[in-house]
Amino acid sequence: MKVLLIGSGGREHALAKLIRRSVLEPRLFVAMDYRNPGLEKESVETGGKMFIVNTVSAKDVANVAEEVSPDLVVVGPEEPQFHGVTDVLRERGYIVFGASSRCAEVEKSKVFARSLMWKHDIYGRLYFKAFTSIEEARKFIEFAGDVVIKPARQAGGKGVKVLRDTQAYLSRDRAEVKKTYIEKLFSEMEGYRDIDYKIIVEQRVEGVEYTSMIITDGDTILPLPLVQDHPHAFEFDIGPETGGMGSIQGPGWILPFITREEFGKTVEVVSQVLKALQSEVREKYVGAFAGQMMLTGIWGPTVIEFYSRFGDPEMSNLVPIVASDFLEILDKAARRKLAGAKLDIDEDRVTIVKAIAPAGYPDNRRIAAGHPIHVDEGGVRELGCEVLYASVELLANGVMYTKGSRVFEIVCSSDNYDDAYERIEKAITYVKSLDGWPLFYRSDIGSRELLNDRIRAAERVRTIYGSRSRRGLLGKVLMWVPGEGVSDNPLIGFVR
Amino acid sequence: MGSLLAIYAFDELWNLSNIVRYGLMSLQHRGAQNFVVCIPGERVKCLHSENIDEVSRGASKNVALAVIGNDSDNMLIEVDDSGVVAIASERSWDGASRALQALSNAFSNGGDPVTSFISTLNRVSDDVAPSMAVLTKRGELVIWRSPSSFSPLVLGSYGFDMAIVSSESVAIDILGGDVKRFLKPGEGIYIAKYIVKHFTAGVSEHRGLCTFELLYLARHDAIVDGVSVYEFRKHLGRELAKYLESDVDVVVGVPETALPYAIGFAEVIKKPFEMAFMATGGRRRSMLFSDPFEKIVSIHLKMNPIRGVLEGKRVALVDDSMVTGSTIKTVSQILRFRVGVPEVHLFIASPPLIMPCPFSVLRLDMKGLLAANLSQSLARDYLEVDSLHWLSKEDVDRVASRFGLKLCGKCFGVDFFGCRK
Ligand SMILES: Nc1ncnc2c1ncn2[C@@H]1O[C@H](COP(=O)(O)OP(=O)(O)OP(=O)(O)O)[C@@H](O)[C@H]1O
Repeated sequence: MKVLLIGSGGREHALAKLIRRSVLEPRLFVAMDYRNPGLEKESVETGGKMFIVNTVSAKDVANVAEEVSPDLVVVGPEEPQFHGVTDVLRERGYIVFGASSRCAEVEKSKVFARSLMWKHDIYGRLYFKAFTSIEEARKFIEFAGDVVIKPARQAGGKGVKVLRDTQAYLSRDRAEVKKTYIEKLFSEMEGYRDIDYKIIVEQRVEGVEYTSMIITDGDTILPLPLVQDHPHAFEFDIGPETGGMGSIQGPGWILPFITREEFGKTVEVVSQVLKALQSEVREKYVGAFAGQMMLTGIWGPTVIEFYSRFGDPEMSNLVPIVASDFLEILDKAARRKLAGAKLDIDEDRVTIVKAIAPAGYPDNRRIAAGHPIHVDEGGVRELGCEVLYASVELLANGVMYTKGSRVFEIVCSSDNYDDAYERIEKAITYVKSLDGWPLFYRSDIGSRELLNDRIRAAERVRTIYGSRSRRGLLGKVLMWVPGEGVSDNPLIGFVR
Repeated sequence: MGSLLAIYAFDELWNLSNIVRYGLMSLQHRGAQNFVVCIPGERVKCLHSENIDEVSRGASKNVALAVIGNDSDNMLIEVDDSGVVAIASERSWDGASRALQALSNAFSNGGDPVTSFISTLNRVSDDVAPSMAVLTKRGELVIWRSPSSFSPLVLGSYGFDMAIVSSESVAIDILGGDVKRFLKPGEGIYIAKYIVKHFTAGVSEHRGLCTFELLYLARHDAIVDGVSVYEFRKHLGRELAKYLESDVDVVVGVPETALPYAIGFAEVIKKPFEMAFMATGGRRRSMLFSDPFEKIVSIHLKMNPIRGVLEGKRVALVDDSMVTGSTIKTVSQILRFRVGVPEVHLFIASPPLIMPCPFSVLRLDMKGLLAANLSQSLARDYLEVDSLHWLSKEDVDRVASRFGLKLCGKCFGVDFFGCRK
C-alpha cells in the first residue's frame, strides 16, 4: 500500500512510525518542507521516497500526489488544511485522511469555534468577545477584567496572554499591559489575510489541562487515550507559551488526575462539537479532531480550543502503546468506513514524551535556528526509548541543524511513571549541541512531584465544579452592577 | 536578616514598579526597615530607601531584584565597580566581596552563568554562603537557596509572563501568581529571556529552617517548604492544651502571631476563643525591633483591651514564644488592672529560650532572656501569672517531624527539631 504523508515535524514522525507497523506493508512517501532526517529514514526504509515541497501549496502537494499516486494520503499539520491542500487532493480523487479547509475552520478560527459552541449550547464553553478593528478592541479593553487575550487565528502556539486580574490593586498595571499588548497583537495579525477577526478576549479559567483526541469518518467516533501536554517553556510551568514541551499519557485511557466520568463527558463534548460543526459547514469531517481541554471549577471539562489534527507532541505518546493496526484505522476513516473499527491500546503502560529545544525557542526562532546538533539514537534505543525528529534539517554536509522550534521528541514508556521518568531523563543526555548553543527541556515533566501537584489541583477544581453543579451554576458567572442589574459577563473588570 | 524578592517578566512590555511595591508590602512583616531595588541597564542600578514607594518607583523595567533588611543590615546588596552584577545576600558574610568580584569577572567574560555561579560558590566557600540573588546588567537573575540558610525561598509564576522568587510564599499570592516550587536547600534557578535553568550547588548539610520562621516570622497565610504556617501554629496550640491544670473560662492569644495557637488550644479544651486586644496603626512586629524603646512602643500600640467579655473571667493566655517577657508582662498588667481578670494562666507554644542565636539570625541577648535568668517561680511572680507552661523540646520535635520539617533549635538548647534528613 502506498501512503503519502504530508508534514515535516515530530507528529508526522510519530504517524510514520505507527503507519509502518501495519500488515498492509505500506510504502511511505513523505511531502515535507525541509529534509527531516527521521521522516527521510522512515520513507527510505519502507521503499518510499521523500519530497521537499512547500506543504501549504495545494499545487505542489498535488504534483507530488500525482507522481506517487498513493492509496491513502494523510495530512498531518493544520496549515496545509487551512490552505486547501486536503480539498484539492480530494477533488482529484485521492483518499485523504485529514480535515477539509471548511472543517479545519474549527481550529483556524477561535471565534468560529467558540461561536459554534454558543450557538449549539454545548457544555464547557467560555465567554468571549472578538474584534475586527483595533478601535473597538481598544474601547473594550479599557474595561476588561480577568481575561485571556489571544490571536483570533491559530498562530502556532504563540501569542496567548493569560492575565489573572482578580486583585484590584494591580488592575491598572494589568490594564496597561492589555492595552499595549492588543496594539502589538493587532499589528502582528495584520499579516493574516485569511481571517476577519484579529483578536479574541475570553474568560480566564484555571485548572488542569489535557487533550482529548479522536479519529472520525464523520459518523463514527474513535476516541484516543487522554494525553497531557505542557505548554510552558520552562520547568515548574514557568515562562512563555510554546507548542508543547512534552506530554504524558496513561495508564489506560485516562490520566491519573482525570476520572472516567470526566473522560466520558469530554468525549461527549468533542462529539457534540463535531456534529455541530458538520451541520454548520455541511460537510463530513474526515480525519483527526481534538479538544484541548481544561478541568475547571466553572464547568469541569472545559474547552480551551480545538485541533483539526492530531496534537503535537500528544501524538508521540501513542507510538509505544497502540496495539491495533493504526494505518488500517486511518484508511478506514478516510474511506468513511470506520463503523465497527476498534482501537486497542496497551492499557497497562504509561508514556512520557519530552521535547528538546534550542535557546531562543519560542520567542526568537531566528537565533534558535541553524545550530548543528546530534542525537545518539543507539543510546536512546538501548534505554528502550525512541527519538522522533521534529524541527531539524539534515544538510548536504551530513550534519543536522536546528530549524528554530523543538528539535527532537524523546518517547519512553513503562508500566509505571517512575521508571519511564528515570529512563527518559537518561535518554535526554544523548542529545548534544555541536556548537555549544544552549538547549533546554523540562525535567519536571513526568515526575512524581508534578503528577502529585496535578492530582491535587484537579481535586480542588473537582470540589468546586461539583458544588456548582449541585446548585445548577455550571458555566454561569453572574455579575451585578447596581442600577444596571445582574448580567452574565465575566469579561468586565474593576477599572471603570 | 534580609528577605529577597526577584521578579522576571519575559515580555518586556511589563513595568514592574507597582508589582514590586505590592510584593515588598507583602513581605514587610519580615522586619522591614530598609529596602533596596536593583534593575538592569548599562550598569546595574540600585535604589536604597526606607520607603517602599520610593524604591519601587525605580523598578520601571521588566526585571527587578529587591531586598528588605532590618536597620542594621546595610550591606545586603552590593554592586561591583563596573556595574556588571548586583548580589543580594540574605545576611552579610565574609566572602561577599570576593564573590562579587569573581561573579563580576565571570559575567563580563560571558561564560555559562550557572557554571560561573557554582564555581564562584565553590571557590568562596559554599558552606557559609547565605542564600543569594544575583542580577546582571543584561537582566539575568541567579537565585540560590543556601543549605546553610535558615529561611526558605519559593519560586512562582504569573501566567506565561513572569517568574517570581521570594523569601515567603505570600508575595507570590499577593502578586496574583501561583507557587510552583519550594526551592530545596542547595537548589538554585537561573532566569534569562531565552533560558531558565534549575541547578543544585553547595554540598554542606542543611542547617534547618530557623524555628522562628514558623513560630513567628512568616505570615499565617504563608506556606513554608510545603507546610501551612497556620496549621503548624494551630497544631502547636493543640499540643499545649495538655498542660492545662486548672479550669479556665476563655482562651486569649497575644496578637497577632499567637492567634492560631490560641485557636488550636481552645479547640482542644472546648472553651471559647476570644479576641482581647485591638491594635492601633499598622501591623508592627515588636520582636524585630532592636531598640528596646521602639519595641515597647509597638507592644503598647497593639494592646488596647476589649473589656466586656473578659471581665471576671479566668484566662488562658497563649503566646508563640517568650524572649524577654516584656510583651507578656504588659499583657498581664492590662488584663489584670484594666480589664479585671482574676486568673491568668500562661501557655507558651515553644520551649524556654536559653541560648543566644549562634548564627545571629535573631538578636537574642543572653542577659535579656527571661528563661535563662529567672527561675520558674520568680518568672511567674514577675509576670503576674497564676501558672506558666511551655511546650517541651520533645513536643516541638514531634510536631516538626509530623510536618516533615527540620528546624534549627540552637537557642532552645538542641541542634534540631524534627526530621534529621
Ligand atoms: N481561557 C483561558 N483561561 C486560562 N488559560 C488559557 C485560556 N486559554 C488559553 N489558555 C492557556 O494558554 C494555552 C494556549 O492557548 P490556546 O491553546 O488557545 O492557544 P494556541 O496558541 O492555539 O496553542 P496551541 O495550538 O499550541 O495549543 C493553553 O494551553 C492554556 O494554558
